[in-house]
Amino acid sequence: MKAKVITDFSMKYPKRVTALMIVITLIMASLMVMIKVDTDPENMLSEDEAVRVFHNKVKKEFTLHDMVVVGVVNDKHKNGIFNVESLKKIHELTAFAAGLQDKKNEQKRVLSEYIIAPSNVDTIAQAGQGQVRFDWLMKKTPKTEEQALKIKAMALSNPLLKGTMVAEDGKAIAIYLPVSEKDFSYEVRERLLERIEKFEGDDDKFYITGLPVAEDTFGVEMFIQMAVSAPLAMLAIFILMLLFFKSIKLIISPMIIAVVTVIVTMGLLIGTGNTVHIMTSMIPIFLMPIAVVDSVHIISEFYDRYDKKLGKVKTIVKVMEHLFKPMLFTSLTSSAGFISLVITPIPPVQTFGLFVSFGIMLAWFLTILFIPAYIMFLDEDKISKIKRDDSEHKDTLMNRFLKRVSFFTYDRAKLIISAGLILSTIAVYGITKIEINDNPVKWFKKSHSIRVSDKVLNSHFGGTYGSYLILEGKKDSLSLKEISNMVLKQVNDVELKKAIDAPLTKALNSSKSEGEFFTKLEKEIETIADDASDDDYDRLMSVIDVTGSIKNRSEIFKKPDYLNYLATLQKHLASIEVVGKSNSLADVVKKVYMELFEGKKEYYKIPDTKNGVTQTLISFQNSHKPDDLFHFVTPKYDKAAVWVQLNNGDNKYMEEVVKSVAAFIKDNPPPSELKVGWAGLTFLNTVWQEKMVNGMVNSFLGSFIVVFLMMAFLFRSPVWGLLAMIPLSITILLIYGVIGFIGKDYDMPIAVLSSLTLGLAVDFAIHFIERIRETYQEKGDLKETFKDLFEEPARAITRNIIVIAIGFTPLLFAPLVPYQTVGVFLASIMLISGIATVILIPSIVKTLRNIFFRYNKSAV
Amino acid sequence: MQKRLMKTIIILSTALFTTTSYSLTADEIVKKSNLASYYSGDDGKSYVKMDIKDSQGRKRKRELIILRKDLEEGGKQLFYLYFRKPSDVRKMVFLVHKNIKTDDYRWLYLPALDLVKRIAASDKRTSFVGSNFFYEDVSGRSVNEDKHELINTTDNSYIVKNTPVNPDSVEFSFYTVEIDKKTYLPLKAVYTDKNGKEYRIAEVLSVENIKGFATVTKSRIKNLVSGSETVISFSKVKYNLGLKKKIFTERYLRKVPRIARK
Repeated sequence: MKAKVITDFSMKYPKRVTALMIVITLIMASLMVMIKVDTDPENMLSEDEAVRVFHNKVKKEFTLHDMVVVGVVNDKHKNGIFNVESLKKIHELTAFAAGLQDKKNEQKRVLSEYIIAPSNVDTIAQAGQGQVRFDWLMKKTPKTEEQALKIKAMALSNPLLKGTMVAEDGKAIAIYLPVSEKDFSYEVRERLLERIEKFEGDDDKFYITGLPVAEDTFGVEMFIQMAVSAPLAMLAIFILMLLFFKSIKLIISPMIIAVVTVIVTMGLLIGTGNTVHIMTSMIPIFLMPIAVVDSVHIISEFYDRYDKKLGKVKTIVKVMEHLFKPMLFTSLTSSAGFISLVITPIPPVQTFGLFVSFGIMLAWFLTILFIPAYIMFLDEDKISKIKRDDSEHKDTLMNRFLKRVSFFTYDRAKLIISAGLILSTIAVYGITKIEINDNPVKWFKKSHSIRVSDKVLNSHFGGTYGSYLILEGKKDSLSLKEISNMVLKQVNDVELKKAIDAPLTKALNSSKSEGEFFTKLEKEIETIADDASDDDYDRLMSVIDVTGSIKNRSEIFKKPDYLNYLATLQKHLASIEVVGKSNSLADVVKKVYMELFEGKKEYYKIPDTKNGVTQTLISFQNSHKPDDLFHFVTPKYDKAAVWVQLNNGDNKYMEEVVKSVAAFIKDNPPPSELKVGWAGLTFLNTVWQEKMVNGMVNSFLGSFIVVFLMMAFLFRSPVWGLLAMIPLSITILLIYGVIGFIGKDYDMPIAVLSSLTLGLAVDFAIHFIERIRETYQEKGDLKETFKDLFEEPARAITRNIIVIAIGFTPLLFAPLVPYQTVGVFLASIMLISGIATVILIPSIVKTLRNIFFRYNKSAV
Repeated sequence: MQKRLMKTIIILSTALFTTTSYSLTADEIVKKSNLASYYSGDDGKSYVKMDIKDSQGRKRKRELIILRKDLEEGGKQLFYLYFRKPSDVRKMVFLVHKNIKTDDYRWLYLPALDLVKRIAASDKRTSFVGSNFFYEDVSGRSVNEDKHELINTTDNSYIVKNTPVNPDSVEFSFYTVEIDKKTYLPLKAVYTDKNGKEYRIAEVLSVENIKGFATVTKSRIKNLVSGSETVISFSKVKYNLGLKKKIFTERYLRKVPRIARK
């Protein structure tokens, strides 16, 4: 047996083994200084993923940026937020925010030129005597309440600002701070909070949210959690084990295994150049329970079996003989559960799966290598003293309880099986109710200030979740000849046709591209016009109108029918509950057009001609921020972006919007075919979620089959293999069934935890079944076998359940929901799979003993 | 001995001369520069090509004809801007009455909407038809709005630092201008924002002598923050055409005079 070789080696050279382990651990720990952190959920998609490429292209083309949203709410003042004091604070805060930049890297900054805030937006309004005025909405802080109210009136009359920058109820103003890099958001928030502290009076409430903040803050807090939760869990586990085994010396070894496993795995991860991502930062939390489980089995059994007469050497040899096979297989199955993540299409999840899987096998190896060595260091007298002190152990609460369970399973086998079946059926129904959904803001617990801000601001504004609906015209591919004919066709005058004949031919024959053709043609015509009479000059210049309109035929978003289509589309968007607001080029055109006509309501529409639209827009461009236009349309006017504000960032709602828009466009076709695409963080999240869920389902099914095959191989019997799968299956059914019933969303953490469930839930069954078969072989009687089963094996399982389930309760107090979820999951996996193993397996074996032992006899 | 005396006298007189000319000319240089760049002749006409390029190199072009008439040397001016291209803004007209002490008057004629509109602007630092040029760059910033300080003199130019009298009215904290000693044309202006960072550069790219007037025929304004820039080139520049004042009135917006069209 291989176990013996390793155990013997370890016991022969305990010092060398220990020294080697320490050296390797130190080397790996030193690699950890190379840590590179990446907290961007966007990286859930690989760099060249089509939607991500599109998202980045859109951001560039429309100069869009990820935005930090700062909301200021005043419920106390009679004029809401529009009072001198509040506006002064907003003005100061905006100026402060505009100067924020990273101290080390100046490129990392708040993009002051694109801030949306009262002092940074231009408005167009009536200025008496038929004049319109372009002016900053709030260049200076108002001095009187009347001036403040004037700003309010002006802001609320601007459809682009209402619901976006100013709340319709007049009680809140939102400042949008675009950041050059998303990972600057946390610092922006921190520094804003510092500045806000300095404001006096507390009528104004400040809220900071937005996906970049949520994502970046999550990243920062996650690493804090790693440093807090993981050690706390270690401490809890340590205390629990101390209660069970009463010897610090004895229990320090699992702790060492866990720490070494985590350090070496993380060191390797970092040392091989991987970034530590949200996913991979959870590796320690996942590895710890798994690393501890094996050693608890050994210690538990060692503790139970130790006898002074036998001595520590013989005891550990015996224990290792017993446990080697089940430990190897529990590790292999857990490892398989995680390695299957490599087939998901999400890079960070792949890395996560690979390294957890590695860590599990490392923990196993360390356990069988180091634990025996460690035992060699223990003083024989001290061990026996521990045992003597614990003389009552034959009659502990746990033992009495387990004895009763033993009888119960033997006597009520059928009842237990039926109960298991009924529960599973109910659970299946629960699973059908599972809703796949995620929202990074919800990764914070409800009382977290980002969650609170999210809630408050989304109740005041159209929504803090931005996504962009991109519409793009399809390009034609006319030949130069066809274009030339088009020009001729559109010039009505016979004489003019004749006049431009020569220039047309000349341009046609000497041009290679369309651009060249038009440049030459227009130059030719202008040369003729320069020498012509004044009347002819004007007529020739009208040909330039024709060539211009053909040349610019791809400028579809200057055309009234397309802009009206945008407006219709927005009307539809507004009918979707979660869409609080949408902004587009159509809104800009309508607003400016109305103001050009004295602000009369009936002019709040799109002008009738393309030239009308263009001239309206060029009027707008005489403002302080003419380029604001190009957040809605490209300078070529061939692509338009509709800003869609969602008041809830749940993926399911975003998906609903995408579907609804697609259906609407199908039923209401645009003037010509348009390419429709989505961009924005809220949308990106839905994409990787979908990939993740599908990927997880596949990898889960895959590893389920692999684990079954391994079981069948381990027990040399498919029937026993199937039996081993039962506690695992019930655990998964029940956990996910409950998730379905309580309406908890199936989100990223829950998806990843399915692998952990698979890996951990089968462990107890392996230990238990292995022992049933061994003992039955020995005793040949089932009742006796069960009696034996409920001694050391059941105790080891019970101790493990308690250690892991309670040991990870510190996670429940983490401010981050995924950590809480992991805590709950670990407890549930342990508890359910433990109970299912201890109760169900004996019941089934008893009921179907003929099948099991017939096979068994032939196999063993 | 005599030699040394002579030397002393020379040094002294040069020093004296230089100091006096320094303290006197800061304002004068700017005044001369203002005249050289915006008031050549009594009136003028020019074809203008405007190339606006954003940070991604995406271009927009506009072509217009500009007519100018001075009412007072260094004072009130009238501008008439007629759009030739692109075709969807053709025949659009901007009319500007530049005032020194009060806001400018601006009219906009939008032929497609058959609309003449007065545009009131709170300040002159709004974009000129979507370009990097401000209205003030087109019609000139009043010399009284800044305090001028000669900070350096090189072989060919004066470097003048201009600090706004009313800092709240502008987005810069100061700007320095390099003024050519011979022509008094401002060759380069660098604007510094309120955080002390340079963010905008206006430069003359070429100068031609037209009818005895040193005339800027190409200039560029760059926005260092957004990375966009606009190049304006002037061609067919003419001076002293005897432009009539009535052309520069609302009446002539709809009915564009020939001289403005061609």
